[in-house]
Parts: sequence; C-alpha cells; structure tokens
Amino acid sequence: MSLSDGKTQLRTEEMILNVGPQHPSTHGVFRLVVKLDGETVVEAEPVIGYLHRGTEKIAEDLQYTQIIPYTDRLDYLAAMLNNYALCHTVEEAMEMEIPEHAEYLRVIIMEMQRIASHMLFIGAYLLDLGAMSPFLYVFISRERIVELFNEISGARLTYNFMRIGGLRFDAPNGWLQKVRDLVPQLRADLKLCQDLITGNEIFLNRVRGLGVYTTEQALAYGMSGINLRSTGFKWDLRKTKPYSIYDKFDFEIPVGQNGDCFDRYYLHMQEMEQSVRIIEQALDDIPDGPFIGKVPKFVRVPAGEYYTGIEGAKGELGFYIVSDGKDKPYRMKIRKPSFVNLQMLPELLKGQNMANVIAILGAIDIVLGEVDA
Amino acid sequence: MSDEERSQQPDSQPTTEPSGADSQPAPAEPASEKPAAPAEQPAVAAEKPAAPTEAPTAADEKPAAGASKPAPASAAADPASAADAAPAAAGDAAAKPKVKPEGAAKPAAAAKPAAADGEAKPAAPAKKAPPKKEAPPPNPRTIAAKELADQIAATISASFGQEVVEETGAAQFKSMVRVRKDRWHDVFAMLKDHESWKFNYIEMMAGTDYKDYIEIVAFVQSTELGHSVLLKTRTDRENASVPSLVSVHPGVNWEEREIYDLLGVTFTNHPDLRRIMMWEGFKGHPLRKDYTPWEGEEDPDVAE
Repeated sequence: MSLSDGKTQLRTEEMILNVGPQHPSTHGVFRLVVKLDGETVVEAEPVIGYLHRGTEKIAEDLQYTQIIPYTDRLDYLAAMLNNYALCHTVEEAMEMEIPEHAEYLRVIIMEMQRIASHMLFIGAYLLDLGAMSPFLYVFISRERIVELFNEISGARLTYNFMRIGGLRFDAPNGWLQKVRDLVPQLRADLKLCQDLITGNEIFLNRVRGLGVYTTEQALAYGMSGINLRSTGFKWDLRKTKPYSIYDKFDFEIPVGQNGDCFDRYYLHMQEMEQSVRIIEQALDDIPDGPFIGKVPKFVRVPAGEYYTGIEGAKGELGFYIVSDGKDKPYRMKIRKPSFVNLQMLPELLKGQNMANVIAILGAIDIVLGEVDA
Repeated sequence: MSDEERSQQPDSQPTTEPSGADSQPAPAEPASEKPAAPAEQPAVAAEKPAAPTEAPTAADEKPAAGASKPAPASAAADPASAADAAPAAAGDAAAKPKVKPEGAAKPAAAAKPAAADGEAKPAAPAKKAPPKKEAPPPNPRTIAAKELADQIAATISASFGQEVVEETGAAQFKSMVRVRKDRWHDVFAMLKDHESWKFNYIEMMAGTDYKDYIEIVAFVQSTELGHSVLLKTRTDRENASVPSLVSVHPGVNWEEREIYDLLGVTFTNHPDLRRIMMWEGFKGHPLRKDYTPWEGEEDPDVAE
C-alpha cells in the first residue's frame, strides 16, 4: 500500500512490532511478532516456550500420584480438569472401578471448574476489548466456586485433589448443600452476564464476523473444544466419546453458527448453563459410598501405551502414557488443547487491523501454562 | 443430609452402599456389581505374594529394552509391543509367544482380565463411543479393534504394497497399524481421502524414544464415520527423520516442531522446522532418554 495523492509520493515501510511477552493482553508470557503495514497485519508469528517447564520430562521420574500436582500447573485455571485427565488415563489403563460416589463428586467438581474457567475467559476477554466492569462481576461469581474448592481441597488454584481411583478427601459435611445453594446463585450470575454483555451493542459490533473460519479449517488444524464447536460442528467428548458418567446426564452441546469471535464468546455462556444443569442432576443423584476405590499402594500401569482424552475447558485434553510396567511412566505426552488451538492464529490475523489482533487472540482462550507445558 | 451419614461411616464397603439399589440403568448392573467387589479382593490379595515374582520380570525386561539389544528381531521385547499383546492376553489367540511367560509370571494380572469378563465390565462398552467396536465385554472389543486394524492395513497394502505395513495390533481396544516411515505421509494422504475411512482429524501426535529407535505415533479420527486408529512409524535414532504431515494435516505443524525440538526427529518437507519450546541455539533434545543437561558445555550455574 502506498500513500499517494498523485503529486507527492509518501514512502511506506513495513514495521515489526513485538506484542508481549509481558503484555497483559497476551494472557501470560506469550509473544507475538507482527509485521505491520500501517495498521494492517501482514504477517504474525507466535513465539512460545517462555513458560516451558518440561512437565513431560519431569513426569518420567515421578510416580503417577506424584505427577498430579504438576498437572495443576498446566491449565492453572482449570486444575481439577487436568487432575482428572491424568487420573482417568491411568484408571482406564489399569481398568479400575471407581466408586459411584466419587464419580458423581468428580463430575460436580469438574463442571464447577468448567464454569470457573469460562467465567474467567469472559471477564478477561471483555477486559481485552476494553470493558472493565464484567471482569469484576465474573470474579465475584468465580470466587464463590473457588471458595467451595478451597473448602473441599484446601487450595484456591492448584488443588491437587483428584487421585487415581477417586478423590483426595470426601466432601465435608454440608458441602453438597452449599453447592446446591450455589446453583440458583450461578444462574443469577449468568443472567447478569447475559444482560451486561450479550445484549451490548458495542460489544456485538466489535466481535461479530471477526476471526471467522470454517469447520473444515478447524478440523484440519486439529482444533477442539469451543473453537471447533463455534463453527457449528458438534464435537464434545462428553457426548461423542462418553467418559466417566456423563452418559447419565441430560445436557445439550451448544454449537455456533458463524465460527466468529461472538460465537466463541456466546458458547462459553451457553456451556456454563449446561454445566449448571449437569451439577443440578448430579446433586440429585449422588449416592453414598466411599470417595476412593481400592487402589494398590504403588500404582503400576501395565506395560503398554494408553491415550484418553477428556473435554477440558479449552478443548480436548489428553494424556498419552507409555508404560513399561513400572510405577513411573516411560513416557508421558500431554495433548494440550491451547497449544493446538493456537496454531491457527497467524492464519486468522493475516490482513486484520492491529486492533483486532487482541480480540482474535483473546477469543481462542489460551492459557500459557498449558501452551508451553 | 447425605454427607452426614457418610461421614459417620466413611470406610463403608462398596457392597453395603445403597447405590446399587437406586442406580438407574439395567437391573443387570447392580447384580453384576456385587460379585465384582468380593472378586476384586482376592485379586488384590493375590497381587501381594505375586509382587516378588513380578520384580524379576521387570528386571528381565530392563536388559531387553535396554541399551544392548542384539538383533532387531527382538523388538517384540520392547515395552510397546509387549504391552500391545498384554491386554489381549486373555482372548487373543494371535498374541505373540512373548506374552506367555509374562502371563504366567503374574497370576494377578491374568486373573484380572478373567474376572473382568463376567463382572461390571458391561458398563465399559458404553464408555467408548465408536459403534463398530461396541457390544459385548472387553475381549471382543480387542478383537474388533484388531479386525479394524487389519482392514485398514489391507487398504494400505492395496495402495502401496504389502511391505508398507509392518505390524498391526490392538492396544487397549484401539486399533494400531505400523507403517514404513518412507510412506508415512502417503498413508495419511490416502486415508484422508479414502471413501471408507476418511481419517480427517489428528487427535494427538507424539514421539517416544525407545533407546533403539524413535517411534512417532498419531491418533487419527474420522469425524464423519466415527472410527479411529493409532498409526505409527519408526525411525533410527541417528539422523532420525520422518516425512512431514503438514501438507495433509496443517494442525500437526507445531506438534512436529515440538517433536523435532524435544526428540530430535527431522521432519522432511516441513515448512518451518525450528525449535518451539527451547530457544534457538539450545543443544540436545531433552526428551531423549540419554539426554544429559549441559553435556560438553559449562554449566552456567556452576561456572558463575
């Protein structure tokens, strides 16, 4: 593009701009090198690895139970789901039976965690777009969940709560009643968010038709979770490959229509409503029983390779374990949804206005702890 | 209200729990669940005496999987293939002879699949979705997975010749096909467009260093037809290289960069093969089993 009015020729030059790695809008230590022509992005290159801790390598020297706290630090906004993903893979490999009570409690906790994670996404996304207040509101409702997690596990962020075969503790007295009381409160919170954000004209104009991709593109790029469902493709592992006891609950998989940033925002909203429904049903059906099954003192996974994925907050979260029959994995690989979903970013940013860069990046919903692992 | 009861008798046996009575599904489940609990107890008990015998087995395996493996034919002894067979041990007649000593050495392990036959396992088929592999208890699932693998292998060999497929099997109800690495890319391209397979979605890709070779695995899924398969290939550790899949599945771009970075496998025809987790100029590949930090360099922590 050259600026000219016929007589005077203004020379234009491409500019390289570094976004991050310490920029608050990058949700962690994520660096984006954008080549700009004026305001337009010519090329964008994500640079990651600033938070790489080598979890996979560390895990090779740890017993399975010892790996659980490390999973807390992957997607630290959804630590319970990470805990579960690892335990689930090990349990599947060992063909373990989980007590019903523990499974129900796990589902309640996981869905609460999903709501907490989605809440934070909505707050942070709106903050990226320049709206301060929703961030404060969603933190109030997220705090309610975090408080309950604190009560059951003793931690507010890195819970280290799931165990192979069950849970670390049973729910304390009255905890389930507190969750029951939380359900109408969460519904009210969601309604508040809907009123505050979804109907907001400024927000709608900002995100509608932004960062659009098709189902074919999303599948080719290996996307999962809301990023895939926003294109209208129904793919939720809770339904497509049911794990745990999700086949016992009645819930829907909301899908988007246009595959744009608005759909991705709105799906978070709708999914939270479905999660509340699951929590409600689980609370009604939860049986009594032990909170952990019969687990050998040393968890030894039979030799072989195993992979199971669960529907994490960001997409398909899976653990691939190669075992040689010892109490430590020979190799552990984490299928990180944020890492895979982020790949399409350069494609999406091409030709976009600089101001849209953050809006598109924010909608992908990444957590750098998971991207870098 | 239910919490209080529970807290009074926290260690109540699963047999006493009322869950069986009100659990919805089929009347078959509570009935089958009850024998399950006592059946498991002896299994756990049996595991303890078995522990000493198990230790030598593990020790035996170590040299086999370890550094000096005499012939490539002994590849069957490596953790991966031994394990492929292990779940199949109960029912699969095609299991390798290697399995036998292992099954005999571990009575507990042998007892478990046997117990799994009759007991609460009927709940399991519902867990894994693909309709093809569904239906009765675990062993038929393994066989079904093996059949699926054989069918895929047949498609591959029909297109590229018999020698391309090196191994088929079933690992934990998942079909597995190992192909020659020079056809790695072609196999994916063919299966993506093939009428009866349409493997269009790579779920996961990983690499493992097995000390004698490096194995690259990819779980591919057909979102339309619902089946999935684990495709594998092997490459030498020195000058490890595998054709890149980026032109077929753009989504493996970063996964391949990660494997290149951490395992040192070069992906030929990759558009942008650079380190992704570690920085440019980093030496070595951390996920290799023989990696030692700061090899041949001064450790900056010590030097300063």
